[in-house]
Amino acid sequence: MKLTVRFWSYFADVAGCRDAAFEVEEGTTLGELHDQVCEQSPKLADARNSTLKAVGVDYKDDNFVLSDGDEISFFPPVQGG
Amino acid sequence: MKAELTLSPDPIDEAALAKARSITDGMGAVVTFAGVVRGREGEVAITGIDYESFDDMARRQFELIFAEIEQRWPIESVRLAHRTGIVKVNEPSLWVEVVAAHRAEAFYACQFLIDQMKQRVPIWKKPIVT
Repeated sequence: MKLTVRFWSYFADVAGCRDAAFEVEEGTTLGELHDQVCEQSPKLADARNSTLKAVGVDYKDDNFVLSDGDEISFFPPVQGG
Repeated sequence: MKAELTLSPDPIDEAALAKARSITDGMGAVVTFAGVVRGREGEVAITGIDYESFDDMARRQFELIFAEIEQRWPIESVRLAHRTGIVKVNEPSLWVEVVAAHRAEAFYACQFLIDQMKQRVPIWKKPIVT
């Protein structure tokens, strides 16, 4: 299935892009996708423990099972205010 | 509870926001807070901050926070404005207003709103160094 991954804040600089297309197997979880993203962008692996993840506009944990067409966002801790 | 959210690159006009205030006659507390860009980020002098927002998700997270406030305290209204893009030093990047019958719940709700925003709402800042 096809997914769109979006990187926000300095993660976009580290990943070298704001958006990327990923093709993964059915049943892939958010945590497994995160593994793949870290393999492609090792610098993102350094920030793995502090990375926040969302599917659409909602936070999800690593066990969340992704669906075809999902838009997944990876970003560092937020800093509003 | 009424809730009004503005995410915009336009300057925050505090006087206009105060003028637009709408409260019923049972309300005795209006708490407002303005977060202003400081001239230093750590040890470094800066001229402003460039705020990046994931707008759709930010709106969703603010809606969730507003819903939590409504469940916790008897609040009549909440208004929040957050700038996006470049905000110069001494300008407000955030403005919050909470209206309630009494000050305790208004202060609690205002503090809660800002604390939750800083944990959950996807907005990031990039200091602009001189």
